[in-house]
Amino acid sequence: MDRTAPEVHVPAWAVWASLVVCVLGLLVAAYLTFEHYTESTTLACSESATINCLKVTTSPYADVFGIPFAVLGVVYFAGMGLLCLPAAWRRPGRPLRALRVAGAVVGVLTALYLVWVELFRLDAICLYCTGVHVLTFVLFVVVALGSAAIVEETLASEREYDGST
Amino acid sequence: MARRKAQTTETTARQAKLAALRAQEARKRRRMTIVMTAIGVVLVVIVAFIIVYSVTRSNGSGSASSAKTAKVVDAATGVPPSVFAKVGTGAAKASPQKIPGNHSLTADGKPKVLYVGAEYCPYCATERWAVVAALSRFGTFSDLGTTTSSSTDVYANTATLSFHGASYSSKYLAFNGYETQDRENRPLDQLPAEDKKVFQTFDAPPYVPADSAGSIPFVDLGGKYMIVGASYDPQVLQGKTHLEIAEAMHDPNSDIGKAVVGTANLISARLCTLTNQQPASVCKSPGVTAAAKAMSGS
Repeated sequence: MDRTAPEVHVPAWAVWASLVVCVLGLLVAAYLTFEHYTESTTLACSESATINCLKVTTSPYADVFGIPFAVLGVVYFAGMGLLCLPAAWRRPGRPLRALRVAGAVVGVLTALYLVWVELFRLDAICLYCTGVHVLTFVLFVVVALGSAAIVEETLASEREYDGST
Repeated sequence: MARRKAQTTETTARQAKLAALRAQEARKRRRMTIVMTAIGVVLVVIVAFIIVYSVTRSNGSGSASSAKTAKVVDAATGVPPSVFAKVGTGAAKASPQKIPGNHSLTADGKPKVLYVGAEYCPYCATERWAVVAALSRFGTFSDLGTTTSSSTDVYANTATLSFHGASYSSKYLAFNGYETQDRENRPLDQLPAEDKKVFQTFDAPPYVPADSAGSIPFVDLGGKYMIVGASYDPQVLQGKTHLEIAEAMHDPNSDIGKAVVGTANLISARLCTLTNQQPASVCKSPGVTAAAKAMSGS
């Protein structure tokens, strides 16, 4: 064992909550992707003037550079899921932590843009998309709070403080 | 002496550890402040969206009439799939007719729908409800307005929508709609040369009888099909307000629902042939397949 390897203390709730949110997000995004590629013939959603999944998922705003947002959602939650594995949370060093926080920030900004599109461009709300937006926001909160609460200390310095060297 | 030195070293180590712990706590507090601020900002943005949206919906742009228009437009552009499915061809009297020859009308690589009408025209007033209902299944209208047909023409004061100032976005279709005159016969939209040429070419013999040349409404669906005139009886709209018509479009058993939604299904079925049967949620729906079957011989 590396005697100078830092010990990373991560709140357990952050690890498990982030992982659960990623799995839920992945499931909803996968469902929306399935609906996208099966041409939304089975999209289970209530219908009214405001709640209208089809209007949202078949709108010109449903793609970015030809890639459906539903597919990006799958990629996003899969990627964030890897970054939120217990081993990834406990890995010392800044790069992985910064990547996880950056991912959460990008996710929540994208969700805000899509909420704006639904409310002010399409005047229609897709409940499944809203579910993804809520999960993205929750993931942002969990990752941000969890990352802020991380304590990293080296065993060597601990021993030094204890006067055991 | 050695014991005193050891005690001093231990005290220094403890002080260093305490200082390190305090620094760590301070860092943690700073990080927490930044995080709580970021979460707060996101929440404020979400709440602002909801407030602006609610205020816009309840007040329109601050006037009762624009709120009413928004309600009408919402209903006309949001006919539920179950209503389209139940109505089928309904009480439609005519369907978009094939344009002889091999023409095509496109814009931005998509099939284009061209509508030419006028706000005074009662037949345009009739047809617009169905055109809006059909096109709303393939894309999204912005800034649709309301108007009524001329008070001095037949089917006077028919409540309707207006394409003047409206825009449409869709990944399947392009749409240009022109209202050439208002309800008082004053000039309104001017057709650009390209669309004027299409109008003058196809709303004239041999595509229409000589005595119908130049008639409105004229709707060209991708250069393949066209509608000249109203596709259902304008009488069903008589005496109805905008809101009554728009709400009746959600009732598959109403005369208006049968007429408008039936016509919209026929138009949708023609549009599906232009979009390669996309989106399937529309093109494979029972109402559209029933409409396609009804037109299979024409």
